[in-house]
Amino acid sequence: MDDKASRSSAAAVSVAGLSKRYGVTEAVSGVSFEVGAGQIFGLLGPNGAGKTTTLECILGLRQPDSGSIQVDGSDLRTHATRAKLLVGAQLQSATLQDKITPRQALELFGSFYPQPFAGDELLERFDLEDKADAPFAALSGGQRQRLFLALALINRPTLLVLDEPTAGLDPQARRTLRALIGDMRTEGRTVLLSTHDLEEAAQLCDQVAIMDRGRMIAIAPPSELIARAKSPTRVIVRTAPPLTSTMVDSLPHVLGAVCADCGWILDTPAPNRLLAELVRRADQVGAELIDVQLRRPSLEDVFIELTGHSWSGERERRRAS
Amino acid sequence: MTAHPALNGWIRHFLLTIHLNFSNSQAIVYGYLVPIIFLLAFGSVFRADSPPLLAQMGQIVTITILGGACFGLPTALVAEREQGIWRRYRLLPVPIPWLVFSAMLARVLIVASSILVQIALARAIFGTPFPSHPGAAMVAFLFVTAAFLGIGLLIAALADSVPAVQALGQCIFLPMIMIGGVGVPLAVLPAWAQRFAGFMPGRYAVEVLQPCFNGPHGIHGAGFRLGALAVIGMAAGVSGTKLFRWEAGRRKGSARWWVAAALTSWVTVGAIAWATGRLRPVSPEAAAWTSITETQIAEIGFDNLPADDGIAAALAPPTLDSARSMEFARKLAAWPQGKLDEAGQSVRNLVSLAAVADLCTDPRESEIGRLVFRQISSRFEPAVARRALAWIILNPEDGQVVTKVPELGLFRHPPERLVRQRSVIYAEKYLGRLAGKIPE
Repeated sequence: MDDKASRSSAAAVSVAGLSKRYGVTEAVSGVSFEVGAGQIFGLLGPNGAGKTTTLECILGLRQPDSGSIQVDGSDLRTHATRAKLLVGAQLQSATLQDKITPRQALELFGSFYPQPFAGDELLERFDLEDKADAPFAALSGGQRQRLFLALALINRPTLLVLDEPTAGLDPQARRTLRALIGDMRTEGRTVLLSTHDLEEAAQLCDQVAIMDRGRMIAIAPPSELIARAKSPTRVIVRTAPPLTSTMVDSLPHVLGAVCADCGWILDTPAPNRLLAELVRRADQVGAELIDVQLRRPSLEDVFIELTGHSWSGERERRRAS
Repeated sequence: MTAHPALNGWIRHFLLTIHLNFSNSQAIVYGYLVPIIFLLAFGSVFRADSPPLLAQMGQIVTITILGGACFGLPTALVAEREQGIWRRYRLLPVPIPWLVFSAMLARVLIVASSILVQIALARAIFGTPFPSHPGAAMVAFLFVTAAFLGIGLLIAALADSVPAVQALGQCIFLPMIMIGGVGVPLAVLPAWAQRFAGFMPGRYAVEVLQPCFNGPHGIHGAGFRLGALAVIGMAAGVSGTKLFRWEAGRRKGSARWWVAAALTSWVTVGAIAWATGRLRPVSPEAAAWTSITETQIAEIGFDNLPADDGIAAALAPPTLDSARSMEFARKLAAWPQGKLDEAGQSVRNLVSLAAVADLCTDPRESEIGRLVFRQISSRFEPAVARRALAWIILNPEDGQVVTKVPELGLFRHPPERLVRQRSVIYAEKYLGRLAGKIPE
């Protein structure tokens, strides 16, 4: 791609005090954040957290009840058309006509912009050349998502808004799409995406904003959020013969220990020292180390710490309601 | 890329809408096959008219436009809305109404192409003449299509799903077909239904389209009807635009008021038509036999008629007076088909009775031929009888003929074509006698 989106220190998107209600339901409540140019910014939260509503307000699909949104320094209320020229989007619940082909779709959507990418160029980049003239209905889920990403890019946007771009895809298609999204950052484009996939957010995003029940809980780079976590590191160790409970109880730096099928699960604030002691004690009793795993706190742990309820529990609560 | 990407995009959307329509088998069936079926159905009923089917082309074209506008357009719009396609369009740097207008314009072309196919097929299959005022026909088509597309847009705005489009569309389509003067001709509807039709756009659509096919002046003098269509289309179009939804979800709270505004235009148009005397009951068209002139009768020749005692069109001598014939004469005098209010059709029925008896080689064939002549001579004024018989001779395919008369003891059923041919011969024999050109 010869197109290189211009980086600037200014915020690509600036949201302040955004609120949106649907009847009695407050979908988004006083949300504020800024997305720096050239970043991949992830809105992270379980289903129903308010991510899609936030993105739809930024795209101009929803009228906020209060708050302001600026895209590349322009107020969305007064410069909506300019914003549409700068933004490319992939929507969660939008498909295409069954009979339209990827080539036709790219030509159609590109024709509304002053300097669009050539359809063939995007077909090649998104590995859709073989399906260029196939009807949309015949495309696989991964191919459709790649086409939507290509459509989002057709107008050479400086800001890409992607709503759950990898939802419902198989692992291989998800990996491919993440790589393509990563390329957007390399080109200097800003990407604002929503996801409820913690792993995806940790892998892709420079900044993550955790949302829950319409409110913004935290904003920081994923590594920083994880580092802030108070949860201990978890060491899972399996030996032959297994360590006795007496031996485990005598280990230093252990906050809690549970014996499970996979071996001993030990929570510790000092994993280095615990591991060294474990190896020494195993040598002493002639036990062989079969498996040792180290699990650092994850974004899920951060979410639980911040919200007081589990990620899956929140999903179940919403499903039940 | 052009210097005006929005216009460029609009044109591409317009062309793609047409292209996708032709890629969709369901759209082809409803857009082309169903109108052809309507044409064939009308043709099977009115093929005997002279010229065939021409007097029904206004109705046929109106049905096609109604189907394309009230089903085709909203089905396409609602299906795309359900798929989230209009959500995606909303992200484009053009106003949504541009794309709605593009979809409507594409529908105009699709409906126009379907009508051209109908006109061509009517010509090829039934020999229906082309419209006598093609320019006026195009103007009338645009008015009718615009009015119905406005209604289609409103249906799209109101319907939550494609099945709901079908339900709402039928609410508009069926009344107009049945009692709106579109499917069933106004002339055969009861007076209340004719007045009711004045409150529906279908009547005005037929009334502006039909004269373009066979009227002497095309749309000249159709100002009120064109205005009625414009008002109804405008009201529905504005309401549809105000209520248009680019994504699935709840209708706007003001929906009922906009629907009321659209329907008010129907009521207003109907009330004005009523108040200005435009809803007078329409009578069935005067039968063509009444327009037969004495000059036409005088030009009919009676040469080469088969002999009265021959095989074809046998006719007993005037002295016939047997008991058997008296019995048949009594039955004939009471035969309902010979005593219709419509004199021309009554004469045609009587003559075709003679033809049936002759074609069935009934033993009484010549007697029946004579008794039918007596019946015609005694029941009808000479001028009426002459004109009706001349009508049978000059327009053998007009009107109805009886082909089976079991109530008079004729149980065989000769083909209609032969009955009409034989009726012409009998009519010539009768007319020649009435005119004094064939001696008894």
